[in-house]
This record gives sequence, structure tokens and C-alpha cells, in this order.
Amino acid sequence: MLRVSELTVRYGPNPAVQGVNITVDNGELVVLLGANGAGKSTIFRTLSGLTRPTAGRIELFGKDVTGLAAHRAVREGIAHCPEGRMLFPQLSVQKNLLLGAYTERRDKRAMQARLEQVFELFPVLRDKQHAPAGSLSGGQQQMVAIGRALMANPRLLLLDEPSLGLAPLVVEQVLEAIRRIHETGVMVLLAEQNARAALEIADRGYVIENGRVVMEGTRDELLRSPRVQEAYLGV
Amino acid sequence: MDEWGVAMTLLLQEILNGIVVGSIYSLVALGLTLVYGVMEIPNFAHGHLYMLGAYIAFFLLTSAHFSYWPALLGAVVVLVVVGLLVERLVFNPLRKAPQVNAMIASVGVMLFLEALAQAIWGPNYLQMPTPYGNVLHIGALSVTQQQLLVVVAAIVMMVLLNLFLKRTMIGAAIEAVAQHREGALLVGIPSGRIAMLTFAIASGLAALAAVLVTPINLLFPAMGTMVIMKAFVIIVLGGMGSIPGAILGGYILALAESIGGAYISTNYQDLIAFAVLVLILSIRPAGLFARRA
Repeated sequence: MLRVSELTVRYGPNPAVQGVNITVDNGELVVLLGANGAGKSTIFRTLSGLTRPTAGRIELFGKDVTGLAAHRAVREGIAHCPEGRMLFPQLSVQKNLLLGAYTERRDKRAMQARLEQVFELFPVLRDKQHAPAGSLSGGQQQMVAIGRALMANPRLLLLDEPSLGLAPLVVEQVLEAIRRIHETGVMVLLAEQNARAALEIADRGYVIENGRVVMEGTRDELLRSPRVQEAYLGV
Repeated sequence: MDEWGVAMTLLLQEILNGIVVGSIYSLVALGLTLVYGVMEIPNFAHGHLYMLGAYIAFFLLTSAHFSYWPALLGAVVVLVVVGLLVERLVFNPLRKAPQVNAMIASVGVMLFLEALAQAIWGPNYLQMPTPYGNVLHIGALSVTQQQLLVVVAAIVMMVLLNLFLKRTMIGAAIEAVAQHREGALLVGIPSGRIAMLTFAIASGLAALAAVLVTPINLLFPAMGTMVIMKAFVIIVLGGMGSIPGAILGGYILALAESIGGAYISTNYQDLIAFAVLVLILSIRPAGLFARRA
């Protein structure tokens, strides 16, 4: 399980994230709701080691992984599909995906098997595997980004706004893929603007505002909450 | 031979010379563009690593009595180690500082290496011996064995480098870091180690280029200065960080210099290099192979 305790991250004098507590139990899909700039991306960046926390503690299966460099966090089983995707635009789709398994590059057979799994999840990528990642549509690039994170065989998958800027039909495909990934037993922490669709596939959720957790609950609790309905579900 | 035959021979001879010089330009520019791509540092010391490679080979040939190929290999190995040291001792400590700090540090390394070479080997021009001094005649064209060696070795090296970058995971990791540093970290690529490796490869390539071409030219402590100027012109016109850009840019520049030099005036050779730069940049401001944002 993932246990984040009292996490604080400051850029300059202002805290982007303050005293945040989040847990993800084994096999859970947990969603983070919040407006732009609420601190969700900062939480993700800190979990995957791109940003160092100012205070707090991050534990994965009881092991302290606080402040671990990003390339070490992957080895602990944390894969981050970041905001903006961060693909390698001139490399082929296949190479982008294979690089996702960089930490286990010596096991060629496992790499190929996982590549096959990603192609099963996103069949369109099989046809595009030799195209440069930068030449794909936004939705397909998002699939590459999710697939690349999966190639690391993560225990915890961090998905930051995977449906941002995608057409409604593609959003559905991506969320369906996330649901299937979750079914395989991977812990998923998902940030989503599309709150209703995210809650539908989630077990639990947190509402983040101004860098703090202001509310938490199960899917049904959040769906019924007037505060969530008003701010995020547009009821 | 009639007038037309003479003119054609002259042109072909200049193209041949351009290809020889272009092979060297390309090797040097490749290292510069690799380092720029991965570390985002314009390494002003790159030409002086080239110079150091030539002096190491000169030392091995004349003082340690190595033959040519062991001396070439020795110079490459020494420069790989020097490259690793420079990256660890100079650039790695500056990786979180503003980019201009690393730029200034590279100028520092450049001045240091030039002073070092001058202190050890003196300011005079030296001649590097080679067993490949014979002149070959192909029709009316003449070429030295050494010139032929330059072209063949450079092309072999470019092919090997390309295979390494395109066919191995470590090579892919180098390209990945160059295309998205944070993305590379996220998949578990240790960018620090990739930077070391890249710097070592670039230094080795510079040494190789220097040992290949110096028997044709002369050896002196400031020999890196003109080379680095040309290499910067090449990677700017080829597109900063682009590998095909560096290779093609090297040959374009050298051919423009040799052909322009023959038909206009050799006095303007260096001017032609910069005229080509201005011309290409006015058509393609980001270079021939601009990296997508």
C-alpha cells in the first residue's frame, strides 16, 4: 500500500501542497479531485521523485521512499504518467514503450510480453508502433504515455489528467483502459477533471483545494456529497 | 587534356578535398551536438579536447614509439577518460546552476587545456608522423592514403555510432534524455550517468578526428579554436542537437569552403563558412533538422 503522511511541498515561500495525507490500499483505484493549480500534479511529482518534498513521509509497502530520485522511484515500482505526457517525440512508439521498461531492460522476453499487453490494451498503438510518438494524435499519445508507465510493471501507477484535451470518445477509451489496468491488481492514483467518469471507476477519492485535502470518502460518499456535486459534478 | 577536362578535374579535386575535411568536421560536430542534446551545454572546450587528443597521439608516436593505430587507440582511450573526468569534475557539479555557468566553465576548460598543451609541448607547430603519406592517383585526381583513411574511418565511425544509438537500449536512453529529460528520469534512466557516457563518447570522437587529420595539417596548442568555431557553425546550421544535422552540416560546410575557396579565393574560405550559415538560417531559422519542441 501507499501511505503519504503530512506531505508538504514548497516552491519558494508558498506551499503548493500542505500537510497532505493520502493512502492507497492494495488493489485500490483512488481518485484526486481538484481544480487546476490545486496541487494534484505537485503531489504526483513528489511521489515519483521529480520534485523533492519539504516535509512529510512517503511509504510504499512499508518502505520509506521519501525524496527518492525519480530514476530510483521507478525501481521501487512507482510509475508516473505525467501531465504533458513527457514522451520522446522523435523516437518511435515502440521505442517509447520499450524505454518504459528501461529498469528491466536485460529481461528481453518480459519486455516483449509487456509490450504485447500494452498493444492488447491499446490496439491502435500496434499499427502505429513504428511512427514517431510526436506524430500521433493527442489521444494516441496519451495511450503511449500510459503504456510507457505500464511497461515498468508498476505496483503503483500515477495517472495525472490522462483525459485532458481528448475527444469524448477517446476519454471513454482511456478510462476503460484504466479500469482494466486496475483490474489486474495495480494500485492506481488518478487525477481527473472529468470527476463523474473518474468516480465511476474509483474505489475512493480525495478532494484537494489550495494544496490541502478538504474531503475524502468512498466513491458513493463523494458522489452523494453536495459539495462535490456542486463543485465537480456540475449538478 | 582540353579546357573542360581541366575544369572538371579541378572541381572533382575540390569535392574530394571537401569530403576529407567534411569527414573531420562531422566527427567533431557529432560530439558537440550529442553533448548539447543531452546536457544542453554548448561545450566550448570540445575543440580543445580534439587538440589534446592529437597531442596525446603525437606523444605516443614520437616519445613512446607506438605505431600509428595503437597511438590512435591510445589517444581515444585517454580522451574518453579525460571526458569522464571533465564531466564529473566540471559540469556535473553545475547541473543545477544556471546554464550560463556551465558555458563559462567550458570556456575555462578550454583555456586550461590550451595552456596545458603549451606548457607541455610548447607553442611551436609540430608535424605528426604517419605511415600513410603516399599519394594515390585516381585518374587525374590525387589523394593521399591518409586522406582516404580519414574518410573511411569517419564513415565507419558514424555508422557504428548510429547503430549504437538506434539499436541498443543505452543508445535509446541517450536519445531519450536529449528529447525529454524529465520523461527519461520517469522511466528510470539515470541522466547523470548518461551525461557522463555522452561526454566520454564525444571526447573519444574528437580524439579520433584529431589523430586522423593532424598528419595532414599541423599540431599546435590553438588548433582547437578554428575547429570549434566551425563545429558550432555546423550544429547551428544542422539544427542544435540533431545528429543527421551534424553529419550533413559538416559535409555542406566543408564542400562550400573547398569549392568556394577554389573558385573565389582561398582567402575567403572562413568567410564562406559563415556566409553559408547566414544563408541557411535565413531560409530555415532553426537549422536543417530542427528538433520539434
